[in-house]
Amino acid sequence: MIRRRLSLTLLTLAGLLVFPLAAFGSESEFQPVEEFINTYWASFMIGPIEIGISKAVVYLWLAVLIAVLLTLWIVRGGLRTDPKRTQNVVEVLYTFSETNIGQATLPKVAYVRWFPYVASLFVFIWVLNMISFIPLPLDTHNPFIGPIPGLTIYAVTSNLSVTLTLTLVTVMISHVEGVRANGVIPYFKSWVPPSPKALLPAMIILEVLSQLLRVVSLSVRLFANMLGGHLLIIMCVGFVILLGNVFIAPVTIPVAVAFYIFEWGLVASLQAYIFAMLSGIYIGSAIEPHH
Amino acid sequence: MAVTDEGIVSAAKVIALGLGTGFGAIGPGIGVGYLIGKTIEGVSRQPELRSDLQGLMFLGLALTEAITFYALLMGFVAFFIG
Repeated sequence: MIRRRLSLTLLTLAGLLVFPLAAFGSESEFQPVEEFINTYWASFMIGPIEIGISKAVVYLWLAVLIAVLLTLWIVRGGLRTDPKRTQNVVEVLYTFSETNIGQATLPKVAYVRWFPYVASLFVFIWVLNMISFIPLPLDTHNPFIGPIPGLTIYAVTSNLSVTLTLTLVTVMISHVEGVRANGVIPYFKSWVPPSPKALLPAMIILEVLSQLLRVVSLSVRLFANMLGGHLLIIMCVGFVILLGNVFIAPVTIPVAVAFYIFEWGLVASLQAYIFAMLSGIYIGSAIEPHH
Repeated sequence: MAVTDEGIVSAAKVIALGLGTGFGAIGPGIGVGYLIGKTIEGVSRQPELRSDLQGLMFLGLALTEAITFYALLMGFVAFFIG
């Protein structure tokens, strides 16, 4: 069992290390940023808004399919009271989101309504981050052979539009729920902690600013982590091509593999957890402000 | 006066990326070290709290470590876009 798992992991890593070979084959200059450029394969316009299909959209669909269909397939015969291995995975995931994200952040009044949102946010971003480290043949910039696209490890969460959209949904929910639970004026009053009169204007400016900066910090945290992680891996592998020296490979390739394991094993899950948990905290603190 | 010499501009971009990322890593570096050190202190004082503290540590780790990437990101903005 362990040997099979190990060989699977090694196969994936080997797949990762193969992809710069595609860059060799195309005889073009190595451009690590190309990984993050979206070209539309099919273009649809609604007025000025582009809703075409690109690499990022395909990744989003893939994540939705995996998250929904895998869960449905695992629980297809109904849930057992003596869970088998596959059901255990779903149960662990659910229990984790229940105790560590839902109950830890949301107040009791809002738990039933917003736990599904926060939990699905966690699962969605987690699947997005996990599949972003699996080399998939979606790189049309550097075709492998002929029409077959090259392998790529693109993270759709390293696209600011995706993380910003998720963040805006969360922030809008938090404000709407805050107004609904507390009333308009008490809610906006609850932003500012009690402070002496002389400091009040400065406090108001600071608190409004901090509310606005939430949008930036929440979206850019996920975006920059995934972008930085992927660029780090790609650059470490690409140093061989950038410097045109094969003998540097024994140094850079292990570093790339180490970063790959670190990013896939820890950062991908951690950032999904942080995003969902902060969403829960924002929604929860809007509904039940601390006075 | 706008600098137009291409060599100077591209050199400045490289310096911006290097300096920005390097200096940006100082703060989070101190933060992560402090965080893990304090966690070890807490665990050695109360070993039964290990799992709780570990969870909190990873949370703080992700929040702190993200700041390195803000600097890296700004460096890339200067390098590729600026």
